[in-house]
Amino acid sequence: MIATIAKHQLLLLRRQRIFLGMMCLFLAMAAAAGMLGWSSHHTIVRVYDDAKQLLANAGKPAPPNPFLLTPPLSLLSNMTIYIPLLGALLALVLGHLSMIEDQTDGTGRLIFSRPVSRTTYVLGTMASASSALAAILAASWWVSALSLAIVHRSIPSVQEFGQLTLFYGLSWSYMFAFALIGMVTVLLTQRRSLALLSAIGVWLIVTFAVPQFTSGLRPSASLNPITDPVSTSQRFFKVTAKARPYSVVEQYKAASGRILQTATAEPVWETMRRVLPLAILIIGLVLATIRLVQQHDFSRSASNE
Amino acid sequence: MSIAIIEVRNLSHQYDSTPVLQGINLTIEPGEVFGFLGHNGAGKTTAVNIMTTLIVPTSGTATVCGHDVVNERRDVARCIGYLPSEVRLYGHMTATENLVFFAKLSGVSNPHAAAAETLEYLDCTDLANLRVGSFSSGMRQRIGIAQAVLHRPKVLFLDEPTSGLDPLGVRQLRETIIRLNQDLGMTVFMNTHLLSEVAKVCTTIGVLSHGELIYKESIAETLRRFPDEASLEDIYVRMEVTGG
Repeated sequence: MIATIAKHQLLLLRRQRIFLGMMCLFLAMAAAAGMLGWSSHHTIVRVYDDAKQLLANAGKPAPPNPFLLTPPLSLLSNMTIYIPLLGALLALVLGHLSMIEDQTDGTGRLIFSRPVSRTTYVLGTMASASSALAAILAASWWVSALSLAIVHRSIPSVQEFGQLTLFYGLSWSYMFAFALIGMVTVLLTQRRSLALLSAIGVWLIVTFAVPQFTSGLRPSASLNPITDPVSTSQRFFKVTAKARPYSVVEQYKAASGRILQTATAEPVWETMRRVLPLAILIIGLVLATIRLVQQHDFSRSASNE
Repeated sequence: MSIAIIEVRNLSHQYDSTPVLQGINLTIEPGEVFGFLGHNGAGKTTAVNIMTTLIVPTSGTATVCGHDVVNERRDVARCIGYLPSEVRLYGHMTATENLVFFAKLSGVSNPHAAAAETLEYLDCTDLANLRVGSFSSGMRQRIGIAQAVLHRPKVLFLDEPTSGLDPLGVRQLRETIIRLNQDLGMTVFMNTHLLSEVAKVCTTIGVLSHGELIYKESIAETLRRFPDEASLEDIYVRMEVTGG
């Protein structure tokens, strides 16, 4: 029964234009991350070649190509920004669409007048959302792998494929949390528009507001792929910066940076500790979603506004 | 005497301390077409929501097909079909896709065959491969009925089934209800405002007023008891005014 509900939800998602549009945009951004990586690589190599030529003409030895010193996966560093910005937004919309129709169009009444338990329904819905995210990220994985292969003119190593898979696995978890937020807001609000607006509000707080407080009001905190050290003289922000280990977006970026080797090396347990707040958030949201569906009055349709 | 297919005892429900149903007692025999009448906010939909297991009553009991609606929810769900008022179905899916989905949820062994057979029975095969989002309210209502009966339930609950239908749609619906009752032996429980339809379709009526069941009798007995009233509408108005 869970599979029946999941397949049904996937079919519905496939036919929603807004979802398809956002998915295409997300994949385009994944390709753009590769393009930007290729462009910066191309620029560095060109400058290096020019400098090497000049040095050779002056009879001086040239230093090694700096690009060869950077890890190959660091080309994808922009992806650690696209996931919290566009990926999370896509996941919010996906979570919202997974549940809103049953709420506003009265189909929830039809489902629950059948021999279907509410737990089955919510697990089926979560399975469809997680599968849809996995499919999108799998496509993005291919785009990234292709970008790496084109830039380096060689197939990435098994270790690099493993790191790439780990990064996308972490990104799946991050996006799944936002899909759950999209579902929870549908269950907590009485209007379609309010549900989406509330979900976007949560996304804004998590992605933009919290990093401001935990980074000492650094304006670029949300848009920088690398998490900077906190430097503030204000007492208030020194206190709020202590919440940084619990800032899901910053910890996601830091852990992703470690996986893609764009950040300073650290012990594996330290990276795993960074993922802990996200894991706790997902568990909390899964339990909250199940509880809310069990308690929700599907006999009353919400406003379709 | 046959065993009641719907049995309601001292059923009460309240929303945020506002009483909606107040100690209703009701018995429906198999094969009846029961018309549940009442003003807006009388509690008709709440009663149907309880009997279709969508909400749990504040107090009292209700059994459908011999199963308790609270403790044997799944057993009740297996023997009922339900068409809520103003249902939209899944607009991005075709009529067949909608029906196959609900057939699977109902545990029908061959969902595609059940969907095709039901569409044919209700004379809707022309709608099979069209997306429901493009349907008129009449077409949607026909597919709504199809989803409610495709697993051949013993009891069919219809909540304001004629709302939004044109006269032709109302007539088609009436004919469908009669066929389902006579051909398939379904017991029909219908919430409605349309008294003209009640007189043509129902075998029994019940009148709910401010959460209390003030009248329940067969149509024939009702017309015999109120010989001076010109129509069922007059009888209904008189019951509402006099409280039964």
